[in-house]
Amino acid sequence: MKNFRNLLIKEIKDMLTPQLIISLLFMMALFYFIGGVTKKEAEKAAGKQKISILDQDGSEFSRQLLAGLQTMNFEVEKIKAADPAAAVDAARAGDTNLLVIIPPGFGESVAKFETKEIQTYTYMRNFSIMGTRSSGILRGVISAINTYLSDDFLKKKIPEFNPQNVKNPIKSKDFIIIKSRMAEGSAAMIAGFVASQSIIIPVILMMILIYSSQMVISAIAMEKQNKTLETLLTVPISRATIVSAKMLAAGLAGLLSAAIYMVGFRSYMGGVMGGIANAPGVSQVVQKLGLAFDAKALVILGISLFFAILCALALATILGVLAEDFRSAQSLIMPMIFLVMIPYFISMFADIKTLSLPIKLLLLAIPFSHPFLATQNIFLENYRAVLFGILYMAVFFAVMVVIAARIFSTDRVLTMKLRWRKKKVVL
Amino acid sequence: MAPILKVEGLKKFYGRLEALKGVDFQVEEGEIFALIGPNGAGKTTTLRIVATLLTPSEGKVELRGFDVKKQPEKIRENISYLPEEAGAYRNLRGKDYLKFMANFYARTDDEASQFIKRAEGVADLGNRLAEKVGTYSKGMVRKLLLGRALMTRPALAILDEPTSGLDVINSLEVREIIKRYAREGISVLLSSHNMLEIEFLSDRVALVDKGRILDAGTPRGLKEKYQAENLETVFRSAVQ
Repeated sequence: MKNFRNLLIKEIKDMLTPQLIISLLFMMALFYFIGGVTKKEAEKAAGKQKISILDQDGSEFSRQLLAGLQTMNFEVEKIKAADPAAAVDAARAGDTNLLVIIPPGFGESVAKFETKEIQTYTYMRNFSIMGTRSSGILRGVISAINTYLSDDFLKKKIPEFNPQNVKNPIKSKDFIIIKSRMAEGSAAMIAGFVASQSIIIPVILMMILIYSSQMVISAIAMEKQNKTLETLLTVPISRATIVSAKMLAAGLAGLLSAAIYMVGFRSYMGGVMGGIANAPGVSQVVQKLGLAFDAKALVILGISLFFAILCALALATILGVLAEDFRSAQSLIMPMIFLVMIPYFISMFADIKTLSLPIKLLLLAIPFSHPFLATQNIFLENYRAVLFGILYMAVFFAVMVVIAARIFSTDRVLTMKLRWRKKKVVL
Repeated sequence: MAPILKVEGLKKFYGRLEALKGVDFQVEEGEIFALIGPNGAGKTTTLRIVATLLTPSEGKVELRGFDVKKQPEKIRENISYLPEEAGAYRNLRGKDYLKFMANFYARTDDEASQFIKRAEGVADLGNRLAEKVGTYSKGMVRKLLLGRALMTRPALAILDEPTSGLDVINSLEVREIIKRYAREGISVLLSSHNMLEIEFLSDRVALVDKGRILDAGTPRGLKEKYQAENLETVFRSAVQ
């Protein structure tokens, strides 16, 4: 135990260099900054939308329409211009993204229940997600105008009825069912919430797996490059102690790196998707449907993540032995990245049940697929699949550890190299 | 004197390549035994097998009665190995490196302190021990590693090219240190290209070529046997 602690402390010191900590803190600060900016932009986009209007009609009806728009979360800026061309120029010089021109005779046509054309001009001032929301605003404006006009028509024609009841004679009361649980709410709203929450877990998982693997591969490669491995292998400690100290140190460093990274990432995602999660009524529905992780779900998910990390560390240890130096270690991380990215993307874009059998088997054979699938399986109460995944990862880990320990206790730890040139042996 | 190390019929294959073709020798207690020979003769392979880094394909290696194949952990407790191109952890300070290594061998904190003190004396790096190894010259790293190798007073110190990369003054110092420790009872198994060094250091020498020991004896005995002025001519005559 004393030797293990001695080695573990050295490994952690070796891995957590000031350079690594500074770069991680920088990344966190960067994410935090971007998150803050994005949040402000999102709040701006969700707030009152400013639109410019050229009212060439000037009728009582058009004035009522503008007043109606103002009550519907739009800030109306009236433009004084002689013709549409001058209005387009005036709006271009301003900061609104949308110009609506109400033509002469608009009120008169409406009074006759005739369809009248209005012109809209969208200014695409940038191509960021927030910047391209102008089309959404335009749809909102047209919809608001149509609602106002149709309500007005109906009030005039059949004043004894509520226009809303005439336009929507059927009202739906929506329920969502997940396994045995049921709650009243919109499926779109819940899907949005689940997407916003479940995007975080795979990203955390992906980062922990890649960071930890990189740490352990680099640790072994650096021992080889700095010619310290031979000395270490001749000190009176078991090879299993050397392997496990490296794996544990890499796991801890990987967890810490991922945690620092995720604090920043969460702040960034909070800025982008905070609106969905905080939408009124969502949290009660989510609780009722069991889509929030309770203690049991968190423990199961934690076990799944833990075994995935162990598998990554064991596999990375074997890959690390193949590395000759730090540079070759960088390329040896690629197979690990692929093995993590495949289930990450498949779980994000596809449903495993609908995949063809060979792809499904391939996906299940990759140990890192299981924690990615665990989130959805826990939501869907499919605990058997989660437990199968944990069992599979435990077996995979045991096999990898046996292989890694065998490599470390034989000549292979020094002679095994992945190289394209002819093998060179020092006699 | 009783042999501390016995090597009998040692063979090593790398795939189809036979690197050692039956090597036999013994190292007595307190003796400096040297393997000399050209590159690729099998010196490093022999040292690596004794150091438990490589497993022998055939033959027997015993240190203090412990078998290298069956009890490698016991052997590791009794040896220290200095590889030819060894390095130290660049992010650690010299003193921390010595402490890190001493902790594997020491049973108590006092013993660890003794080991570190001894290593500091051998390395003779003064205040530089408080700096990171990454800032050391090659010679300084070599002396630090020699300090590490001798600090525990192992039963057998295995030194592969101990003065590799050192300048004349540092080489002289290192040789004197090795000799001093051998006088205090440490057995040394070393390899070197430098015949002058071998002559100065060794009690006995084995001439190694193409995976075999051609001859072995004291430097003086070998020179008399081959009627040669120095070990270089001895080696040439033995090969012919």
